[in-house]
Amino acid sequence: MAAATIIGQGTSIRGNLRGSGSIEIRGRVEGDVQVDGDVAIGEDGAVNGSVSGAQILVAGRVGGDLTGSEAVLLERGARVIGDLVAPRIGIAEGALVRGRVRTEGEPTAPRRAAVVPTRRGDTSFIAKQKPAVPAAPKPAPAPPAKVVAPAAAAPVVPPVTLPIAAVEPPPGPPAPVVPSLGKGVKAKKKVKRS
Amino acid sequence: MAGTVIGEGLTIEGELTGDDEVVVHGTVRGTLTTSDAVSVGSSGVVEADLTASSVTVAGQVTGNVVAQERVDIQAGGRLVGDVKSARFTIADGASFKGSVDMDV
Repeated sequence: MAAATIIGQGTSIRGNLRGSGSIEIRGRVEGDVQVDGDVAIGEDGAVNGSVSGAQILVAGRVGGDLTGSEAVLLERGARVIGDLVAPRIGIAEGALVRGRVRTEGEPTAPRRAAVVPTRRGDTSFIAKQKPAVPAAPKPAPAPPAKVVAPAAAAPVVPPVTLPIAAVEPPPGPPAPVVPSLGKGVKAKKKVKRS
Repeated sequence: MAGTVIGEGLTIEGELTGDDEVVVHGTVRGTLTTSDAVSVGSSGVVEADLTASSVTVAGQVTGNVVAQERVDIQAGGRLVGDVKSARFTIADGASFKGSVDMDV
């Protein structure tokens, strides 16, 4: 395994990182991160781009999709806006997610504890986060990308739409269109009457 | 060990800026700017303009180098580009192609 990479707290990168080995991000990255080793995003770390690796551990902020070939683990204090895909996914209490979550592939045996404890026991922070967590992330998964279309197109079937099934609803609008054609026939009759 | 380390096997394409010490064992393409020192290890490859307080080259650097304090090319190191720094050393066994501006 190649030597580890560390992006220090005072460092910011605008561009893509890819290659072998593991990487720890304590600074800022504006771009995609793609490695075959583990990725750790520290409490002060921030990534604006997609991240893929073997095991992805997040305690900081990510604006992009997380794809782990082994696992994606979010610690408390993590803020992720993007989709999570991995055979094993762990979201600790106090972590914030806005996106779709999909466990996919053969899960490998956990190499470490499923959820690694945070370095600092910052309970006050969790207390602040908590109210936002139950409210925001649950309904959020559907809204971001998909629901934009269904919400406008299918008011007939409101919140029941599953994120994946949401692709189907677009045929919804045609349905009202068909009856309206039927009405059209009546309309002609009316025209004849008058 | 503080600062930023670009591990062997890792490639960064883009802009790296900051105030950390940067050690490059991998590859950096683009620009590398820091207010601290930059060290390019023997396996390191930098194809970028480099600005730092001091620069030590044991690997390969292609690009212009500007250092507030000093630039050192160690044996086995290779630098192709212009150097602007108050102090500049080239060790026996190092290779260098470019111009030097010691701006006295």
